Amino acid sequence: MKQFKLIQKTFLLPLLAATFLISCTPDEPEEILEQELITTVELTFRSSSEVDQIVRWSTTSANSESITLKANSEYQVEIAFYDESDPADIEDITEEVIEEADEHQVFYEFSGVTIPFVQGGSDTLDEDQNPVFIHTVWSTGEIGNGVVSVYLIHEPTTKASITRDGFGGETDVAVDIPLVVIE
Amino acid sequence: MTDLHDGTPIFGALLKIEGTDLFVQTNENGTYSFGNLCPGEMVLFLAHPKCNPISKKYNLISNTDLNFELEHHINELEEIVISDNQLKGLNGSTKESRLNTDQIIRYSSQSLSDALTSLAGVSSIKTGNAIAKPMIHGMYGSRVGIVANGIRLQDQEWGADHSPNIDLNAFQNVQLIKGAYTLKYGGDIPGGIIVLSPPKLILKDSLFGQTVMNASLNGRGGSLTSKLMKSTSNGYYVNGQFTAKRFGDLSAPDYLLSNTGVKEFNVSFKLGRNKISKGWELNYSRFQNEIGILRAAHIGNIQDLVRALEADKPLRIKPFTHQINAPKQQGAHQNIHVIYFNQFSKDLKWHLDYNYQINFRKEFDIRRGISDDIPAIDLKLQTHSVLGNMVWRKDFDWTLEWGVNALLQDNFSNPNTGVKRLIPDHVKTQFGSYWVGSYKPSNSFHWDWGFRLDQVNWEVQKYYTVADWENRGYDQVFSQFEVEQRGTQILVNPQFDFLNFAAQTGISFELGKQFETSLSFVLSQRSPNASELFSDGLHHSLATIEFGSLTLEKEVSNKLLLSFSKTSGKLKGVIEPYFSKINNYIFIGPKRLQQTIRGAFPVWQYEATDALLWGVDTTFEYDFSNQLNANVNAAFIYAQDLNNVLPLIHIPPFNTTQSFKYRSPKKRYEVEIVNHFVSRQNRFPDLNFNYSRLQENVLIQREVDISSPPNAYQAVDLFFLIHIGDVKESKTSLRFMLNNLTNTRYRDYLNRMRYYADEVGRNFQVQLVYTY
Repeated sequence: MKQFKLIQKTFLLPLLAATFLISCTPDEPEEILEQELITTVELTFRSSSEVDQIVRWSTTSANSESITLKANSEYQVEIAFYDESDPADIEDITEEVIEEADEHQVFYEFSGVTIPFVQGGSDTLDEDQNPVFIHTVWSTGEIGNGVVSVYLIHEPTTKASITRDGFGGETDVAVDIPLVVIE
Repeated sequence: MTDLHDGTPIFGALLKIEGTDLFVQTNENGTYSFGNLCPGEMVLFLAHPKCNPISKKYNLISNTDLNFELEHHINELEEIVISDNQLKGLNGSTKESRLNTDQIIRYSSQSLSDALTSLAGVSSIKTGNAIAKPMIHGMYGSRVGIVANGIRLQDQEWGADHSPNIDLNAFQNVQLIKGAYTLKYGGDIPGGIIVLSPPKLILKDSLFGQTVMNASLNGRGGSLTSKLMKSTSNGYYVNGQFTAKRFGDLSAPDYLLSNTGVKEFNVSFKLGRNKISKGWELNYSRFQNEIGILRAAHIGNIQDLVRALEADKPLRIKPFTHQINAPKQQGAHQNIHVIYFNQFSKDLKWHLDYNYQINFRKEFDIRRGISDDIPAIDLKLQTHSVLGNMVWRKDFDWTLEWGVNALLQDNFSNPNTGVKRLIPDHVKTQFGSYWVGSYKPSNSFHWDWGFRLDQVNWEVQKYYTVADWENRGYDQVFSQFEVEQRGTQILVNPQFDFLNFAAQTGISFELGKQFETSLSFVLSQRSPNASELFSDGLHHSLATIEFGSLTLEKEVSNKLLLSFSKTSGKLKGVIEPYFSKINNYIFIGPKRLQQTIRGAFPVWQYEATDALLWGVDTTFEYDFSNQLNANVNAAFIYAQDLNNVLPLIHIPPFNTTQSFKYRSPKKRYEVEIVNHFVSRQNRFPDLNFNYSRLQENVLIQREVDISSPPNAYQAVDLFFLIHIGDVKESKTSLRFMLNNLTNTRYRDYLNRMRYYADEVGRNFQVQLVYTY
């Protein structure tokens, strides 16, 4: 019957379409090399009487390094940020932080010990002359054990504060490194 | 004598034998009889006020039953007149709720989800004011289907922050059916279906248009939507429609919500021919929007979240602007649809649809080292679907439908984002067949049933970090999917097959003249969606890392829905209790903390449990007089995660809306006051976690409270409507609307932005509707 042939056509169409479409695999996707990643924080401590101390915190390592400082001393501290996700192509993120000084802030908070710090002589300043704290001078006090929380803040709501919370903004880096102040 | 389309009897039709003065009229059952006629040729003339008259020649030999079908039109212009009654008669064994035209126009500059919340049992799960998804009986996203022009919307429905890419203004009718009433559209939507349909066709030469202009004080914006519809008596029709919206930052009662502007532009076009017994249609629509996300909601880590939770206002507030910056979303959706139907015999009609949808979704974050102009999520979803069905009607009592649906869906996740794909590239194919039927011997009894079977197949290409792949044990269970290890990443090719079965049956019947009752049972099976299976990334506004799970199986839901209603008299109402048990209910919950360079993050993972959801929706209206009426609706849900013995997350608390409406005697103007009350949700899972922070040089543990719902709240809206010109024709009307009249400060449990800011404050809107 003509009508039956019409019905057959209606249903064969989607059936055929379906069987034809069923085995479709997507093309192999391109690997994404993440660009915004910060994997490593590196702190360099310089003092007049000692050898340079470099302490690293990295997402790829066990992170057992700790900072050892002498009591009642002054240290020039420089911070660096790296993207080491591809060991063959290590990116220096510190440069970006310096270029976007208006949108970044480095900050340190201490627990267990009290170590005041101020901007260093070669620190980067933003367009309003606020220090970014890439280069700071730490003044240690009495002996003790503690932890330093190292922060990189993105788009802080204010550029002057004495606590991490005071700066607001979004945290790009927040790592805790053990610290000991010795004789 | 019955209606050609749906078989309902036509009452009050006139049959006259030409050349005589013999005539009769049909009664309520559509029957008539002529007695004492002489045999021989005669011409019968049939007429009804709402139908085109027809003449039929007949040769009378002996006693005969002659049945006629008339094309029963509803004069579309008359339907625009405001109708208060949200309750419609028996149209299926499950009660349906409907938005009337007035409600659709009121929400012209807002979203579909906002409009639906005026119905009992429907809530809106939101991420800020502009991103809203409808939630029915506590279920949303993949558990709720949106059907427009007979085809299911295929956009990235899996996200709680993905609002449906559809323009409410393009549709005349919005119906909501709780529970999968018709398996035609899918057997995997236990929450329900929202059906959006265009105006019914008029088979005569006509030109109809409507323009709605809206201006809002809050957000200093507005919208403009306009449609034009032309139809001809020989069945051709052409429709065109567009909508444009633009809003700047919205205001909460005490402060500005910076970066909450919205831009939207939609256009749709339809061309077709409907010759009643056959017809075709071609329609095209395009939806495009850009939505700003509260700037203060973008955070870096838990400490930032805690700072936001402890502040009583957003941490970033800038001066008002219309500009939309990161964080923001951009969406675009295009839809091409071709329909053909043919009623090749009195009993049999078949229907064929082809549909192509393409959806673009871009999500922009605040980025460091890369421009904010490069999206962090960039997805392209293409879907081809073919739907064919055959409907067989017998004697207007029995209807049987058999349909077949084939779907091919491809998702491409652009690697130019520079950040790990949240959803991988995949191809999903689905092939389904359904059988539905109904038996409706009279207006007072209805029985329907249905079955559906769908075969779903996933083909995925995804990168996992080797660490994740091994830590989660996938290298043991899914080693057959491994393709190649590349440094710290491994490429895998997951392939999954699901067979979903669904069944539904229900009965409804009248109890006397005033009461009706119905009972329906739905079994639905839903296979997991792309997010539940493959999610992999950091969610910036929630400070959580989300992971999908490859071991998820399909959800099986058994739902029983009852309704008792009084449909006439001064007092009308409906009570709808429901009960559902879902096995393998898929949800996301916290698992552990993960240390990253930004500190510790809670890791949430998709998993399955057995869930129980039951509740009651109720709506009542009382007509004090022709001019004054009152309406109350309320909804309550109880939802429990049975395995973990905890309440389910994000379930709407008890809520009720009451309204009073007064119409002037000549119906020239109307005033309506609406009161919303939402109680505090006291049943919620405690998903808080601890985090250590520095306080006066000492590290202490603090609890981060992301679980506690906000307090109960109440908000009042006031509406004025004035008809300009002839009230009956209702060509022009002016509305003044005050939302949140008292500028109440409140937060809603279902709004993800409740951690950061209050809901929107008072808004004053002016709306002009012009019909021609």
